[in-house]
Amino acid sequence: MDLFLQTLLNGLLIGGVIATFTIAFQLAFGVLHVIDFAVGGWVVLGGYLGYYVTAWLGLDGFIAIPLAFVLFGAVGYLIGPVLYNVRNSRTARPELMALALSFGLFTLLRGGMLTAWGFNTRNVTTTLSGESLAIGPVTVPLIRVVAAVFAAAIAGGLFLFLYRSRYGLAIRATAENRHNAALMGVNIGRLSANVYGLYAGITAMAGVLMGAIYSVNPEVGLRYTLFAFFVAVLAGLGSVEGALVAALLLGVIEAFVSTYVGASYSLLAIFTTLFLVLLISPRGILRRGL
Amino acid sequence: MALIPTNPQWRGLVLLAIIIVVLGVLPWTVNNYWLRIATGALMWAGLACSWNMLGGYAGYINFGQSAFFGLGAYVTAFLMGDPFGLPFSATIPAGMVVTALCAVIIGAPTLRLRGAYFAIATWAFAEVLIQFASAMDFTGGIGGIGLPPYLNERFFYFAMFGTAALSYFLTWALFERSRFGLKVKALRDHEPAAEAMGINTALVKLQTFVLSAVTASVFGAIFAYWVTFINPKSVFGGDITDQMVVMVLLGGLGTLWGPAIGGVALFVVNRLIWMYWGDTAFYIAILGTAIVLVVLFLPNGIAGLFARRKNDALDKVLDKLVGSGEGGHP
Repeated sequence: MDLFLQTLLNGLLIGGVIATFTIAFQLAFGVLHVIDFAVGGWVVLGGYLGYYVTAWLGLDGFIAIPLAFVLFGAVGYLIGPVLYNVRNSRTARPELMALALSFGLFTLLRGGMLTAWGFNTRNVTTTLSGESLAIGPVTVPLIRVVAAVFAAAIAGGLFLFLYRSRYGLAIRATAENRHNAALMGVNIGRLSANVYGLYAGITAMAGVLMGAIYSVNPEVGLRYTLFAFFVAVLAGLGSVEGALVAALLLGVIEAFVSTYVGASYSLLAIFTTLFLVLLISPRGILRRGL
Repeated sequence: MALIPTNPQWRGLVLLAIIIVVLGVLPWTVNNYWLRIATGALMWAGLACSWNMLGGYAGYINFGQSAFFGLGAYVTAFLMGDPFGLPFSATIPAGMVVTALCAVIIGAPTLRLRGAYFAIATWAFAEVLIQFASAMDFTGGIGGIGLPPYLNERFFYFAMFGTAALSYFLTWALFERSRFGLKVKALRDHEPAAEAMGINTALVKLQTFVLSAVTASVFGAIFAYWVTFINPKSVFGGDITDQMVVMVLLGGLGTLWGPAIGGVALFVVNRLIWMYWGDTAFYIAILGTAIVLVVLFLPNGIAGLFARRKNDALDKVLDKLVGSGEGGHP
């Protein structure tokens, strides 16, 4: 029973961190209508930033979180318009071209990181690394709890921004119906660039947390892209609220399969779930997909 | 002058005949090293063609084509291995059947949805096959699986040549010269309209997907026998799909000869990089850069470059004849 509770708690904590970047991923899809393969690349880049902040500057890993947001937010702000232009270009199939572009970007990031840093894994160390926290009968690494708290703060901030600010209203309006939003005076092109920047920044912040919990190497980007896709399919593409539920579910599924079956089967279990959802309820379990 | 026909169709046929003759006598004119490179180039031209069937003609992007290449390779390796010991020729149909079944299972639910879901499902399928093959015992785990060596370079050259030629012939016959091809192109250009015309789009897409997957599996089978040793990364790896996507985009999406041009061009670049640096990680970065650049600056590929130039010239002549000074055409 203790093992069960511990696994459940672990899964929920990891799911919370996954939720931060999958929510942003859904937001980017809702506005840009592009499935961004590069999502795992941003996670890994965030993790590496965390590593270099600790290894070179000798600072605590958590310092890298705001830094990651500013740096990769700026990079995303520059890439956003390119993606937007391809998606809305007059080539034969802009949707597929944009998909291919994000796939190329992902391949470029992965290849670049492998060339620069090799296959070695790196850890983001913080003052909390190695400590653990006992809650009743279960013990969890303190770092996971703190990471989940950070994740909740980031997600909470994002929701506050989306639902309580005027610009958030414009983003939601664009995600719902871009033509009507444009008629209401929203500059869709500029908003898309901003949203992509916001998404890249948040994803990199989640990457710092992921790097602190596990470790980071260029090849794990594939895994995080798969996570984002899993959540997107389960929640329905573009559904921001569903992403939170689906990410927590993903964390729990992964934790239980890893604990009770074996870590090498976790991706297999995730894919089987993803496939069953596509088969039974293609618009996501909450039926809110686009 | 009379030897060179002026009719473009005849010119094409003469060019094709020259290519076939050159490829046919190649094994007796070059050494084994270059023969292996030529074999690889033919394989990649054929794989690019298989990807183009669905990606180019039906407009559905498959980011997990390596799954089917790998399935063909693994079925052959498994059936030629210890408990079975089947001959090579018997393993190919088995690989084709397994691949077709997998393609139906993946494609039937996801091809009904938006292209993005299909791209996700195929990509995830390939990634999961890597995990599956690494975790299972009967696939040899991460270490991989060996095949009985057969040291006859000419056999593999002609096997790849024949399969590639058949792939291009099938593409030409099915997609360029039949009602089936019209259906596929119609659904690519406007799916709701194609459905309204009475085309069973779900079925047509599934048929195209299965054809594309089975073609890749045959190349996988020959590849496994050729290199005599495979492991999960070497046949299921995402780089294999990346390479096919770049080749088709570079050559020209949805054209007959585009994948051959892009396939051979990129494979030669690959070998040159390998010869001078031997570093695979750097090559992944180059592939990514190539995809980005082609999407941004050459969306119609190399084949589109020629087509556009021809049309531009034609348009100029027409403009002069009609005398419209604006020159702006949609």
